[in-house]
Amino acid sequence: MNMIEVKHLKKSFDGLEVLKDISFTVEKGDVIAVLGPSGSGKSTMLRSLIELETTEGGEIKIEGEVLCKDGVYAPKKKKKEMLDKMGMVFQHFNLFPHMNIKDNLMCACLCAKQGTKAELEALAAELLAKVDLSDKAEAMPSQLSGGQKQRVAIARALMRKPDIMLFDEPTSALDPELTKEVLNVIKQLSAEDMTMLIVTHEIGFAIEAANKIIFLDEGVVAADGTPEEALYNNKNERIKAFLDKVM
Amino acid sequence: MEEIFSEWIPLMLSGCALTVKLFFIVIVLSIPLGLIITFLYSGSISSREKSKARLTKKKSPVNILLWFKDIVINYFLGFYILIMRGTPLLLQIFFIYFGLPFVPVAGEYLTISDRFTAGCVAYVLNYAAYYAEIFRGGLLSVDKGQYEAAKVLGLSDRQTTFKIVLPQMIRISLPAVSNEAIILIKDTALITTIGLVDLLKVTNSIVNRTTNISAFIVAALFYLAMSYVLTLVFKYLEKKFAF
Repeated sequence: MNMIEVKHLKKSFDGLEVLKDISFTVEKGDVIAVLGPSGSGKSTMLRSLIELETTEGGEIKIEGEVLCKDGVYAPKKKKKEMLDKMGMVFQHFNLFPHMNIKDNLMCACLCAKQGTKAELEALAAELLAKVDLSDKAEAMPSQLSGGQKQRVAIARALMRKPDIMLFDEPTSALDPELTKEVLNVIKQLSAEDMTMLIVTHEIGFAIEAANKIIFLDEGVVAADGTPEEALYNNKNERIKAFLDKVM
Repeated sequence: MEEIFSEWIPLMLSGCALTVKLFFIVIVLSIPLGLIITFLYSGSISSREKSKARLTKKKSPVNILLWFKDIVINYFLGFYILIMRGTPLLLQIFFIYFGLPFVPVAGEYLTISDRFTAGCVAYVLNYAAYYAEIFRGGLLSVDKGQYEAAKVLGLSDRQTTFKIVLPQMIRISLPAVSNEAIILIKDTALITTIGLVDLLKVTNSIVNRTTNISAFIVAALFYLAMSYVLTLVFKYLEKKFAF
């Protein structure tokens, strides 16, 4: 089954068409890197999937069910069920600064009554161990480095047990030496068969970790396929120019 | 020197009682009222846009009513804040105590005959307006990313407001809240104008009676002590809720 199916997605901001015609599918276990120059609509596309941006045209299906079609969204309850299947990690982490790390992880689950406090504490401890931050459970976000914050953000998203993880430039706000620790966590998730969509500027990482690459340019999909198909063997001038610049 | 301790201080302490009582009543009522106004006002600004968009899509009576409700709340609160911040507190105290009975038709029902109650109403309405604007500043300082993170984690609007936005907004507002509270301590002296006896009034009568101006110095020390305690309390709160 397709985890995500996007057809002819359209979105504009004040008359400026950011997404012109986007179609792609994500299958279970796919790790997809979304590449493209600045302003190509990568982030907008990703944010549309989880309704941080509303779309005007086209269709988004999550695990076979229609989230939105031509700007009309599924009824509230149904929509929430679909959105809950996805977790998201932001460029600027967006941890809750007034809560310690453990509470950051548990807050949403407690609100959603996802389990008892003891169960959630155990899950939080397990996920913190997974991102190698067991010793930071009681720390405040302001006491962590950028890389640590982003790993907490990943663990926080995993607490809701999503089927799909969306990453919006997860390493763009990090120093190069901190980038690696975050990318390692993402690789680890990929080894566990997590379905992921990653908007990134780390071409090397994309080629290494992703099984598929979607290249966006000016609001359309310029290439879609394995790294070899999408990048190296592609005749598209824009992609060639982009690769020359970044590699 | 002896009469300072035997006569003045007990008199001044009795005056202080009114000052402190007024202060606490106003703080306890105006801060929550300010919070409510902030959320109503900010809510009406954002929902006004939405209800306008709904209205342009479909002109149903329900949509017109919803749009009208937002407009009314928005303008009413905007006007309230404008009046409260734009006119002297003293004028507001006079208006509520001396003026309200003379309002045509409704005057009879609006009269507040108790001086202290009338004073409290004026102070609370005035300070709530300032607190509302302080909290609105705090609300605007909460990063957009916080709302987005709350949304993708599946928190409801209510949970986002109470668990994520409100604690951060209050923390950001604390220094300004503390500032306003210290101003209030000193503003309480205005209540003497409607015939109540507070610290300043007591002091003034001592000076008149004894022609010894050192009573003013003692009163100043009283105000200073109260402000200092407040400063310490807010410093503690700022530290406790630091992030």
